[in-house]
Amino acid sequence: MPLDTSTTYPLTKLRLDGRRWNELRLIQAQISTNPASSGSSYLAMGNTTILCSVHGPAEGRRGDATGGSAGSSGAVVEVDVNIAGFASVDRKRRAGGSDRQSGRIASTLRSAFQSHLHTYLYPHSTISIHVSVLSADGSVLAAAVNACTLALVDAGIPMPGLLAGCTAGMSGSASTPRDPMNDELDPLLDVSLPEEQELPFLTVATTSVPAVGPDGDDDDMKVSMLTMDSKVHHTYIETMLAVGVDGCKQIREILDGVIKGSSRR
Amino acid sequence: MKSLRRDFSGDPSTANVTSKVFVRSTKSGKVQKIVRELYLRQDIPCSSRLCTICPSVAPTDANGNIVPFVLSEQPAGTTAFPRGHYIVPDTNALLNGMDLFEHTGAFYDVIILQTVLEELKNQSLPLYNRLLALIKTDEKRFYLFFNEFRLETHVRREQDESINDRNDRAVRTVAKWYMDHLRAVTKSKKEKSVPAIVVITDDKENLRKAKEENVTALSLENYVSGLEEADRLLDMINESREAREAKEARGELFYPEYYSMSKMMTGLRAGNLHQGVFNVSPYNYLEGQIKVAAFDKPLIIMGRHNSNRAISGDVVVVEVLPKDQWKSPSTKIVDEEVVTKNDNPEGEDNEAVVTERERRALQEEVRQAHGKNLEGRPQPTAKVVGVVKRNWRQYVGTVDSTSTGSQTSGRRQQNVFVLPMEKKVPKIRVRTRQAADLLGQRILVTIDAWNRDSRYPTGHFIRSLGELETKSAETEALLLEWDVQYKPFPKSVLDCLPSEGHDWRVPQSTDDIGWRGRRDLRDLLICSIDPPGCQDIDDALHARKLPNGNFEVGVHIADVSHFVKPNNAMDLEASVRGTTVYLVDKRIDMLPHLLGTDLCSLKPYVERYAFSVLWEMTPDAEVVSADFTKSVIRSREAFSYEQAQLRIDDPSKTDELTQSMRTLLHLSKILRQKRMDAGALNLASPEVRIEADNDEVGDPLADVKTKAMLATNSLVEEFMLHANITVAAKIYSTFPQTAMLRRHATPPPQNFEELINQLTKKRDMRLEVSSSGALADSLDRCTDAENPFFNTLVRILATRCMTSAEYFGAGAHAESEFRHYGLASPIYTHFTSPIRRYADLLVHRQLAAAINYEGEDGRATIEGSITRNRLEDICRNINYRHRNAQHAGRASIEYYVGQALKARSEKLAADGVDSGIEEDAYVMRVFENGVVVFVPRFGIEGVVRLEDFVLPSDEALRAVEERRELVTRRESDFDPEEYTLKVSDKGQQERSVCVELFQRVKVNVSSVKEETGRGVGKRRVRILILNKKK
Repeated sequence: MPLDTSTTYPLTKLRLDGRRWNELRLIQAQISTNPASSGSSYLAMGNTTILCSVHGPAEGRRGDATGGSAGSSGAVVEVDVNIAGFASVDRKRRAGGSDRQSGRIASTLRSAFQSHLHTYLYPHSTISIHVSVLSADGSVLAAAVNACTLALVDAGIPMPGLLAGCTAGMSGSASTPRDPMNDELDPLLDVSLPEEQELPFLTVATTSVPAVGPDGDDDDMKVSMLTMDSKVHHTYIETMLAVGVDGCKQIREILDGVIKGSSRR
Repeated sequence: MKSLRRDFSGDPSTANVTSKVFVRSTKSGKVQKIVRELYLRQDIPCSSRLCTICPSVAPTDANGNIVPFVLSEQPAGTTAFPRGHYIVPDTNALLNGMDLFEHTGAFYDVIILQTVLEELKNQSLPLYNRLLALIKTDEKRFYLFFNEFRLETHVRREQDESINDRNDRAVRTVAKWYMDHLRAVTKSKKEKSVPAIVVITDDKENLRKAKEENVTALSLENYVSGLEEADRLLDMINESREAREAKEARGELFYPEYYSMSKMMTGLRAGNLHQGVFNVSPYNYLEGQIKVAAFDKPLIIMGRHNSNRAISGDVVVVEVLPKDQWKSPSTKIVDEEVVTKNDNPEGEDNEAVVTERERRALQEEVRQAHGKNLEGRPQPTAKVVGVVKRNWRQYVGTVDSTSTGSQTSGRRQQNVFVLPMEKKVPKIRVRTRQAADLLGQRILVTIDAWNRDSRYPTGHFIRSLGELETKSAETEALLLEWDVQYKPFPKSVLDCLPSEGHDWRVPQSTDDIGWRGRRDLRDLLICSIDPPGCQDIDDALHARKLPNGNFEVGVHIADVSHFVKPNNAMDLEASVRGTTVYLVDKRIDMLPHLLGTDLCSLKPYVERYAFSVLWEMTPDAEVVSADFTKSVIRSREAFSYEQAQLRIDDPSKTDELTQSMRTLLHLSKILRQKRMDAGALNLASPEVRIEADNDEVGDPLADVKTKAMLATNSLVEEFMLHANITVAAKIYSTFPQTAMLRRHATPPPQNFEELINQLTKKRDMRLEVSSSGALADSLDRCTDAENPFFNTLVRILATRCMTSAEYFGAGAHAESEFRHYGLASPIYTHFTSPIRRYADLLVHRQLAAAINYEGEDGRATIEGSITRNRLEDICRNINYRHRNAQHAGRASIEYYVGQALKARSEKLAADGVDSGIEEDAYVMRVFENGVVVFVPRFGIEGVVRLEDFVLPSDEALRAVEERRELVTRRESDFDPEEYTLKVSDKGQQERSVCVELFQRVKVNVSSVKEETGRGVGKRRVRILILNKKK
């Protein structure tokens, strides 16, 4: 049996992969990895690896269930998520279609990007995003958000800012009310798979709001996506959210660097 | 197309990222390959107070705090390491010597590696938990070093290197790094002050390699030999695995092999095998019982071979034996020390699992069982095929003097038998170098293993408690046996006490924050009624007449939750202790003295915080309304039960306080009647009270008194019950899942079968067990005009047929299962003794939250909430502690009675007579070779063997040794249907003594010193059945 975070973290203030509470895993990313698509990206957050490609904006398909009326005000975002059978510890045979987990990720991504992108520029068209999870080692949704952002930037689809996602957890089960005087639990940034399985965590994605007016702050951020599947006492949410938002900021800078670096090349 | 492979070469930030790859297999047999990332870093501190670099880089938590450095700057030295040393143990060192690491005399400043902790967790979860506890305490200075994450100490497994070798290499690497690191940081200081790093490992290969690499490494044994008290410490090492393996190779196997885990699991699922807790009969060490779901009656496990190395308390898997081997429970008393007196602990070669003597003891059993088949009494028997969980603990015992060799003078190691005090546990073979010193001492040992090749379990010595029969040793033995936490409170707990100490007062001004949410009840005439000499006064009462003719009755309980905040050190300590344990001459407190006997205690004449339950009652004791509030009270008087009774009975007293006590008494009688009408049971337990007033002159036995029940006892009891029930309903309505409640399950009717049978046969009395009410009525009818104690005896026996009451979280059972059988209440909890029970403290918090009390800091509502898991853990612990506390209390009384008898006989011995004392006793159980009698005067029950029957031919009472010889001549005629036993000398049936169940007999009680066997030196209460009949 491997060690667990909730036992050893209070003793050493180190997580099971050697990180401190506020450290991200190593992020590596490239864009334009697939010349056949309009835009594409590869992103690895630790051992979580995602490939993403974007097609479109293209003309909406005929014979659509909505009879072509969909997208009359702007482009429709379609997301398709495929988690490879070899992505997790146990090899799963998937009968082609999507399972619950990938379905949920897909619908979360769809609603996040549908509202995030400037879709009104492309009425009657479809932007389709394909996400392939090659390896899942925690924070899959956050990594997928980041990969999609990169691929959409690569495809040249206008958006107000980079949408960056990150996870934040607590270093214990956090099921009883937080004691402000005797704070024993630390928030953890960017949880890995073993931490996801043991601890409560949330996924948050933020976008930077462009500076408005002379007093506009460049660092203003807007939370555009927030999900949580685990149970945690509500008194801890604020801490977790603050840490998650801070992580998004760090990730945005990394994504920014990737984009700028690749255009220079 | 670009390659998407992760390329670490170009990026400098990736230099520290590596991965750990390992393969594991799951329970279902799947093999998984796990790949984990590792971020290597250089800011993991060495945690030595000598270090000048690490404090500046150590990782911080979210609040910016650094974990304090633990390793002392001046670690203890030994002869080999005069400059002091830090210890780096290997996994096998911890596996073999955890007791040593916990020892308070040595093993300070220990560096526990992540590698070692992880390996230990894989090998033994209990040891892992003990190690974690050690790391968490400050005193021992254990430091958990995450070596795998430190760049310098990270070790990659090489091609063809076994995991074991890699881990050993990791340990050596750390030792080397620590040496260099400490040398570097202390360069400015004198070279002398650098402590040595000592690796402790029992792996020969590792020792060799360490030598090559210039790392100081010692085997556990060699290291300990260099310490002071080496002899004592050496005995604490587990029998080394190598020695065990060597023996196994010789292939002398006495016991059948256990089934494999998967075979057991399949069998359990298919219903062929059963799982349960193995329980050894208190009268026959060769017979065990196991309660499983598939059978109504417990399965019987007969003999050493079938019990197959299981020890009482283990969770085992059993297989039911074919029907022709079924039998009824034993009717014979079999004591281990008598049967196996002459076993030799050294000689293994000529051992058989079942000795001839044991076989004889058992054969009689089987023959008898077949004779009784007519009645359909035999019960299914089973054999143990595997152990799911060992429940071994540390055992208190004595070295069997007959097992020590003749040459005890030298320091040579030898095997001795240790006889545990607990009769259900077999003797333990222990290797020791100090056999001579240990004779006549109470010692603590633990079991390490019980292998197939050994008749008895092997264990090792932990420490000596002191001379036999000294008060301190016997008291400590008793506390250890019942797992009572008796160590003084650590500093961290005492730090949680109010800083004012004994000078703490209820704030004068009612505007003070302490008064927030509290009602001022200082003008009420409140008094407390407790046993004499009570210091921790939990409860106080008052009653007053209201203008509308009804009464206001209040129960005021010490507000402990005001002082004990959840999850601080004091709260955690209290939750572990669970309850205060009362011994005859000692009280082991749950809460520190300051709180228990002063600040919380509702002492008279001073203001105290309280939690009050107030009812409005009609004169017929119907409750009109109930109200709960935190309050401030001032008790007017603290009465003892007798004082209160006298005051109530004294017609000249007409003051208001006495009047209110009379009102309380009146109402309590009505409440009691109502409860009895609802079917509450009036149970009895054999309790005596000891008044230790230490008068040297009088008869020592005069202190032993049976508990008298005064009306004032039941006054207090009724209102406490009523308060508990009212509170239970309130917290259940607020916390339907997590309310802390107490229930007493309805006992299954088959539990009473034997008692019903016995009563019908012997007295022609019927016991109705369909409901508690019916049982209460039928118990009332079980009387014997000539024998007033008979009714109590039946009640005692009936109580033993029942299940015990237990704490539980409301979510754990359906509402219909909440019933308290004994009290005939649909819901119940404990609220009234928070000073001495942890459950009550939790209930206080829950009630405070339920009435929206905010407290000084507005957090009282938060304090009331608890998760179900935590609640279940707490319930499990306090149920266990509660049971143990009762046993410990009883054992203490038993010990005291023995001592009193001894003191008496010593006094009388001056006159040359050692005659014991004559008392009435009642026969509780009849066996083939003895009976169990109960002596109400002393509240003790004891076994009377054949030789202890005084036949008409015996004139004088003889000495123990003489009596022992009698046994060969004695003959008995046992009638299991009629529960009679006729004892006579062989061939002289005409002069016999016949006893039957429930009979009143005259016995002679004396205290004798055991010369051999389990109780060596311990006083045993000897009971002789006298010939004189009334």
